[in-house]
Amino acid sequence: MSLIPGIIAFGLYSACLYAIGAVGFTLQFGVTNVLNLAYGAILTSAMYVDYAIGRGTPSIWFGILIGAVWGALVSVVFGRVIVMPYVRRGASLVAMAMVTIGVALIVQYTLEAIQGPFVYSYQVAQQSTVRIAGVTMSEEQLIIIGAAVVLMIAVHALLQYTRLGLAMRATAVHPSLARSCGVSTERVRTTAWLVSGALCGISGVLLGISTGSFDSVTGASFFITVVVAAIIGGVGKPYGAMIGALILGLVSSAAAAVISPDYKDIAAWVILIVVLVIRPQGIFAEFSSGRELIG
Amino acid sequence: MSPATQFYVSSLSILFGINLIAVWGLDLQYGFTGIYNFAYIVFQAAGAYTTGLFALHPAAYYQANETYVGGFNLPFPLPLLAGAAAGGLLALPLGFIGVRRLKGDYQAMAMLVLSLIATAFVNAQQNLVNGPTGISFVEKPLSTQLPLTPLGYQWAYLGLVAVITLIVLWIVRSIVSSPYGRVLRAVRDSETAAASLGRHVNTARRTIFVLGGALAGLSGGLLMYYVTAWSPTSWLYPETFLFFTIIVVGGTANLAGNALGTLLVPILIVEGTRFLPQIGYPGLIDSLDWVVIGLLMLGFLWFRPQGLLPERRRKWVTFVPEGRRSLHDLLRFRPPSALPVSTRGER
Repeated sequence: MSLIPGIIAFGLYSACLYAIGAVGFTLQFGVTNVLNLAYGAILTSAMYVDYAIGRGTPSIWFGILIGAVWGALVSVVFGRVIVMPYVRRGASLVAMAMVTIGVALIVQYTLEAIQGPFVYSYQVAQQSTVRIAGVTMSEEQLIIIGAAVVLMIAVHALLQYTRLGLAMRATAVHPSLARSCGVSTERVRTTAWLVSGALCGISGVLLGISTGSFDSVTGASFFITVVVAAIIGGVGKPYGAMIGALILGLVSSAAAAVISPDYKDIAAWVILIVVLVIRPQGIFAEFSSGRELIG
Repeated sequence: MSPATQFYVSSLSILFGINLIAVWGLDLQYGFTGIYNFAYIVFQAAGAYTTGLFALHPAAYYQANETYVGGFNLPFPLPLLAGAAAGGLLALPLGFIGVRRLKGDYQAMAMLVLSLIATAFVNAQQNLVNGPTGISFVEKPLSTQLPLTPLGYQWAYLGLVAVITLIVLWIVRSIVSSPYGRVLRAVRDSETAAASLGRHVNTARRTIFVLGGALAGLSGGLLMYYVTAWSPTSWLYPETFLFFTIIVVGGTANLAGNALGTLLVPILIVEGTRFLPQIGYPGLIDSLDWVVIGLLMLGFLWFRPQGLLPERRRKWVTFVPEGRRSLHDLLRFRPPSALPVSTRGER
């Protein structure tokens, strides 16, 4: 019984980390209709930039700012300079997947070439801890939870209460109809790349700070988690991704506490496989009418 | 040729043959049938591991603190066949998860993630195939029985690879040039049209997924025997992307194009750069190779998405007389004439 508060606390904490990444990934897919397989690589690049600017000393607030700016910048450039020209040229969806993996490789191996045979580690400072309901959490973890909650509320407000959010949702559901209603889908898509990139960069920096050390493939392995959370909720649905991240965080935290820490990741993989077999369109797919992902 | 050159040429030729088998298997799935198997390298890995585990002695035989299942120490052709079978068998569960209902780029993403998961899983399981260290000490087939110098053995192994590559070419050619090949292309181009003509779309996909997996397993087995060691770093997800780059560069759904791509991409770029003088730290050039491969993919998809040798569009229906319609006969049969599709005759 005493396990339960711990499971919930660490489940929530992981869920917050996953949710930032998953919402960014899924939002961009929903609006621009391109699966961005370079997401993990952009996420890694944000870690490197934060590490280079912060000179190895983690500073969470500053890091969030750097991650957001860098991620947004890279993502908009990637979307406008690489992805959109290919889409305009009539590249098939699978060709787009190959283009984005190609970019992922270019980024990942450029980072590896810069890094050389080292692993970067943050200098860990002594942290103050807080005890809540019998669970000890570091200040850093609480800041991450807080930042994630604020970001999720911001995404919710953007989508529901602004004209831009309305335009995004319209573009996601029916781009040509949105265009004929006067929505500049081009600009909306650029904004989606921007928002997605900012979330991507933030989640990268937070991931780097929370794990303490990273190399050029850290983003690729975190990308699994991002995709699992997004698939659970139905790819392209930001609210689905939030719930997916929550389910994923709680289940993997429970598996780690009840069975063994090795099973943290395996629980995520089992969830992915079960969802792909039973409900490949995701649990919350009926809330939105995007394009068909399954036959 | 000096012995060193001979060694180099023979090993490049061996790698060419092994890669080509895998590329044909993948193009059968991707180019001819439209299955986006971004986890292809996992099948090659399954074949390599299985071959290794069937060829090795049990772990306790070596004083190396390795832990793996199996270690059956079977004689030469059996482990290779087991590797091919393992690739084919792996296609059944993975096909059930990733290919049965998912479409297009969603399928590609799901397979990519399954590939990442497979690597993480093998890394985490120390007892299955010795975790991150991988398995080694696999003996090359018949290397102790044959009275050959190391160089002579190279050429002998090249002969084996060449024979297997030709057999695979015959199999793949038979499939894609047969009526069944038309079914596959129909499944790729329009699933609905293929189904409306009474073709079993899912059966065709599943068959090709298993067959491509078996070819990947076969190439993995040959690679295992050649390099004698195999670990999770041998089959990271970029390797699948390398195969796709080969196909896109050489030409999708074109067997000769696949061969051209295999010659150009891995052999010239990955092997050719070994001759460059060392810059920076060891491994820097390897990293830059991958950057070049990524750029190559982007460049070809932009300037020449159909590849160097594009797919031949068949516009003519071959006239096949009654009684000669079995696959075997069809292959030997050289049609005396061809009828245009638009001819409205007794057919």
